[in-house]
Amino acid sequence: MVVRYVSVRALLGAVLVVIVAAACSGARREGAAPPGLPAELRPNWDLFARRCSKCHSLARPLDSGIDDDEHWRAYVRRMRLTPGSGISLADEAQILEFLRYYAAEQRRKKGKEIDAGAEVPSGTGTEKDGGAP
Amino acid sequence: MRWLLRLAILVAVVWAVVGADPAFALDRNFAGSAQVDYHFVPTAPGANARREGFDGVTIEAALKVAVDFSDHFSANVKVCFGCHGFETDMAYFDYRVADELAVRFGRFSPSFGAFNLRHDPANHRLSDKPLPYDMGRMLRLRSWNMGVLPSPFPDNGVEVSGKLALGEGAWLDYAAHAVSGFKGDRLAGDLDWRASRDGSLYYVDNNARPAVGGRVAFTADLGTQTDVTIGSSVMHGTFDPDNDHAYTIAGADASLRIHRTYVRLEYLARRQDVDVSDPLRFRYAVVPNGDFTMKHGAYAEVEQALSSTVDLIVRADGMMRVGNVLALPAGTPIPAEGELSSRSLVGRLTLGAAFSIERSLRVKVSSELWEFSDRNADGQLTAVSFHLGAVGTF
Repeated sequence: MVVRYVSVRALLGAVLVVIVAAACSGARREGAAPPGLPAELRPNWDLFARRCSKCHSLARPLDSGIDDDEHWRAYVRRMRLTPGSGISLADEAQILEFLRYYAAEQRRKKGKEIDAGAEVPSGTGTEKDGGAP
Repeated sequence: MRWLLRLAILVAVVWAVVGADPAFALDRNFAGSAQVDYHFVPTAPGANARREGFDGVTIEAALKVAVDFSDHFSANVKVCFGCHGFETDMAYFDYRVADELAVRFGRFSPSFGAFNLRHDPANHRLSDKPLPYDMGRMLRLRSWNMGVLPSPFPDNGVEVSGKLALGEGAWLDYAAHAVSGFKGDRLAGDLDWRASRDGSLYYVDNNARPAVGGRVAFTADLGTQTDVTIGSSVMHGTFDPDNDHAYTIAGADASLRIHRTYVRLEYLARRQDVDVSDPLRFRYAVVPNGDFTMKHGAYAEVEQALSSTVDLIVRADGMMRVGNVLALPAGTPIPAEGELSSRSLVGRLTLGAAFSIERSLRVKVSSELWEFSDRNADGQLTAVSFHLGAVGTF
């Protein structure tokens, strides 16, 4: 029993060290907007965070590796139509504005060729998909 | 034969991820999560593991692939590994005719309640689920046979759903399903949750009658920072091979978000037929209309984001079971976790926090105070437990 208590206390201590270290680091956080997000897209981010975190971690979409606007359009539409998602048609358009910016940033980071339309942070769509449905 | 099923699922997943012809698969998304949790129960007497529950380290892991073939047609396959071993949690297709009408068929968790949408450990902030949805992390899980409706509850069948706009900022979600239904032996006295989801039975129903149910939920925006959802759900079916015994589960839920604060309330109850043809099997005398049990469960939860790194969670939950109890065979010692009575209660108060180390990595800590109406073999009515977990997602 004593050994068990000691091992648990050691485990708790180790975790606290990790947490404190993380709190002092500049790591990406679940609830934090992406660095460099244009101010005009802040409301879109807020809506994205609010709606999507109802069911799942924001890491799921943001770390999905998706950097294609058409893929995001299908993805968000599928999410909107998930029973209980709480995402309206108007939300879908606003969320896609943020995700298109995010996708463009992902492409830029990967060194991919960016189409001019997707580079505009406040853009509402690309020629490829003709805008949000 | 189980290896054949597993092989088929693995081939399907691999094909969906890497092998499908791009001309037919518009977009593929691969996702997953894993949670490791240490459950410490200092009030459990002695050092024997698992006297009252899964104390120690547990893991839940899942891999999922979603394929969007078109705006109208998509597929999802999810496999998981946890306390029940390797299982197929999802394998379904969605065909969306319009916003107002979509059809899902395959293996999926039918729409019921609010929590099930967040059942993956990466999607909720505490290590364990609310008691009404508990699937094995609760203390005295064997005598209670877990929650009212252990989550998730994947099943085979079809579901029709849709979203109806009710003006700006308000809409109604509906869903109706017909699935295999939960399974149980006629004389068991309760549903057999393991048999209900066990792949070794090839996910084949034990009777020919589908179980049916549905959900209706109303959501409204009450401003840019506030929204509310109110829902109601029901499911009904027979669980024995002869279709003689039925279960009905009904629930209501409400969730309110005010800026960075979530308030969630949910109640569900299950009415369960019990075979009383042999009254000697029971601990108490069988009374008229005593051929069923009721199991109620509820939780209230507040989740408050203190910063972009830390979430604080307070939860009160509990269950009540009313009805007769199967008697222990003669000469059988009372189990460590004790026995239920004709009216048993369990309550729990949880205080926890979730720390976001990275966007995809979260540490969860929580403490739980338990109170039972029935004594265990050591005469205890209360217990304390702690969770320390880490969950990663992608």
